[in-house]
Amino acid sequence: MTRSHAASGRALGVCLGALLLVGLLVGCGRSAPPWGLRDITGLMPPLDFSLTEASNGAAVHGKDFRGHVVLLYFGYTHCPDVCPTTLSHLVRAVAALGPQAEQVRILFVTVDPARDTLAQLKTYAAAFGPQVVALRGSQDKIKALTKRYRVTYGYGKPDAHGDYEVSHSSAVYVFDREGDVRLLADSTAEPSIITGDLKRLLAE
Amino acid sequence: MKRALLSALLVAVTMVAQAGPPAAAISDARIRWLPGDLPMAGYFSITSHASTPLQLVGGASPVFGHVMLHRSLHKGSEARMVHVEALDLAPGQTVVFKPGGYHLMLMHRKRALQPGEEVPVTLRFGDGETLEVPFRVEGARGE
Repeated sequence: MTRSHAASGRALGVCLGALLLVGLLVGCGRSAPPWGLRDITGLMPPLDFSLTEASNGAAVHGKDFRGHVVLLYFGYTHCPDVCPTTLSHLVRAVAALGPQAEQVRILFVTVDPARDTLAQLKTYAAAFGPQVVALRGSQDKIKALTKRYRVTYGYGKPDAHGDYEVSHSSAVYVFDREGDVRLLADSTAEPSIITGDLKRLLAE
Repeated sequence: MKRALLSALLVAVTMVAQAGPPAAAISDARIRWLPGDLPMAGYFSITSHASTPLQLVGGASPVFGHVMLHRSLHKGSEARMVHVEALDLAPGQTVVFKPGGYHLMLMHRKRALQPGEEVPVTLRFGDGETLEVPFRVEGARGE
């Protein structure tokens, strides 16, 4: 190989390298910044269920919430710590959106329908705010829904008073206006992080 | 400001109220209100001023039928609560009872409660000593 060949070879290499770099930069420029919460786009099926809304006793379906950004959470009202902590974080995150809060719904699905009557759920949801929608269904319907989102729950042994604990998932699934699953949060997610991600979803 | 002063005063009173052991100081004692007769969680910070190990073993309140020490445990994405028989405090140690961790489980209300009021809870220690602490009732959203 002559000296000039080697030089042109080097020049070609530099050119290719530069092209690769430009390609990478363009690629990076095109991809959005990372989400604050965990991105689970495409990993779960779209929002779909058939339950009863506690506030008015009406039958509701997943598709009724199309157009809203939805936060889906499974819990029970006899849960003094984790459930109210999670709900208060979500409510604070949504309230920080200002007028756009109206376009977000927090769905609280009970995994303890035996104790959580519609009346009880209605009062419970109201204590947290207007964006919280409490939903109830038969064991079969709740089982189908929890299975759909790979969520588990179980009941502890009742004590002398008939009180029992319920183990449940701390996952919060976030769906976009189309009803497609996008993000995963949990009870420890900072409200400000959730607010930031909700803003982005609302802007889509 | 008024509230902060009142809280500071309450902490001072709590400490003065018991001259002998258990020498423990409690601060930021609060209950998160939930409607009806739902069990509620009590949170606080406890610091041992004892010279020997101190054991918190439970609580009682004239307002609740049942008070228990509880802890929320997180395993992967699953949450569950467990009953805590006793919590050991080394001399000078502080343990914070906070959302998602240690908490008092306050069950079977004897009367209706409203956010803003204060209720007494007596903490019980392993040596049989007790400490009465005023808990502030906060709203469901922890405000």
